[in-house]
Amino acid sequence: MNKLFNINNIDIYDINTTILINSKYKYREDAVNYINNNCEVFTRYSISNIFDIDNSVLEEYNLKELKNKKDLTKIDEIKLFLLNSLKTNKNVIVFFNILTYVDSEFKNKLINDLKNKNKTIINYTTEIKETLLLDYLIVIHNNEVIMEGNTKDVLKEEKIIKKLGFNMPFIIELSNGLKYYNIVDKLYYDNESLVNDLWK
Amino acid sequence: MEIAKIFEDKEKNKIYGLLGNINISTNNANYSIVRECNFKETVKNYLNSKKDKQALKMVMLSDEYLDKKLFELTETETRIISLAKVLIENKDYIVLDYFEKGLNYKEKEIFKRLFKKLANEYNKTIIIFTNDLTFIWDISEELICVNESHVINANKNEYLKIINEVDKPEIVKFIDLMKEKNIKIEDYKNVLDLLKAIYRIKGD
Repeated sequence: MNKLFNINNIDIYDINTTILINSKYKYREDAVNYINNNCEVFTRYSISNIFDIDNSVLEEYNLKELKNKKDLTKIDEIKLFLLNSLKTNKNVIVFFNILTYVDSEFKNKLINDLKNKNKTIINYTTEIKETLLLDYLIVIHNNEVIMEGNTKDVLKEEKIIKKLGFNMPFIIELSNGLKYYNIVDKLYYDNESLVNDLWK
Repeated sequence: MEIAKIFEDKEKNKIYGLLGNINISTNNANYSIVRECNFKETVKNYLNSKKDKQALKMVMLSDEYLDKKLFELTETETRIISLAKVLIENKDYIVLDYFEKGLNYKEKEIFKRLFKKLANEYNKTIIIFTNDLTFIWDISEELICVNESHVINANKNEYLKIINEVDKPEIVKFIDLMKEKNIKIEDYKNVLDLLKAIYRIKGD
């Protein structure tokens, strides 16, 4: 892995990464480091009200009605803003605690579309379920890295994660319980796979 | 949308979940809205009350926050400061506008306990406006769904069929998938109950 940049003495690599933070983590200091790193940063603070999204993209995301909508809601604006990540020439897309505002369907589609464009995604979040979207996970507490590694491996550290104030993603908690009762023999990371394996 | 209109006929001192892709506002003197706040000087100036320390304590922030300026706070912290201000204002209705965004699980649970306390002990009516059903799933006594012009549903059992912009709790999505496989299953609300049910079904 190539090192992409360093924030608060934490190395960020050129790999799709979730950075699990708490509500006191500030992005402003980090933002300075993005400038020279071919990164486009998306935060609630950087939302502009100029949205120039292609009709085809709006249609794909079921947002066509927003084209002529007079009073956009907060969530409409955030969705349109996030769609700009599909247009940028930058190679690295940084989301700072903004994906939490949009529904899973939109979020999953956006992340998949960015992956298909070979963008590197760095997602800062306080939502544990967003960790399942990306392969690498860094857990930060009080500006220190507590754990980092392959997302599935880090999520096995249930005690540490819970001690830091996070719950486990629903599917991991459920499959972990089913594994305990020998109903399944592994952890699952999406609902469909577990249901399909339980009832073939 | 004027939030007070939605609640004019509703029972007081309850916790409501409000769902819908709308912008909310109010001119009603009995309502306070908690949302990201803007202020020029310090938190102390913004709160502007002798009860500032007490209010910060209720929202789980230390006295050190009194000297902080806006740029020193995260967006989530500004919402928590806004809640402190609203507690000082002491109005009957407290509306939380996407308050939970940026909080982790433990913080969300702490604030849920505070909302229950405000409704039960301080006679407040709490309205949690969100698109995250998981957050209000276990504490709201009634869910209200709205669209741009009117209330489209006030029935807790029917909301999922009506509103699209809401993220269903993962447990609901999982149970839906089970039902698609023709598995008879109740609408459980916690993982342990679901786990026991699957254990029973697989054991049959």
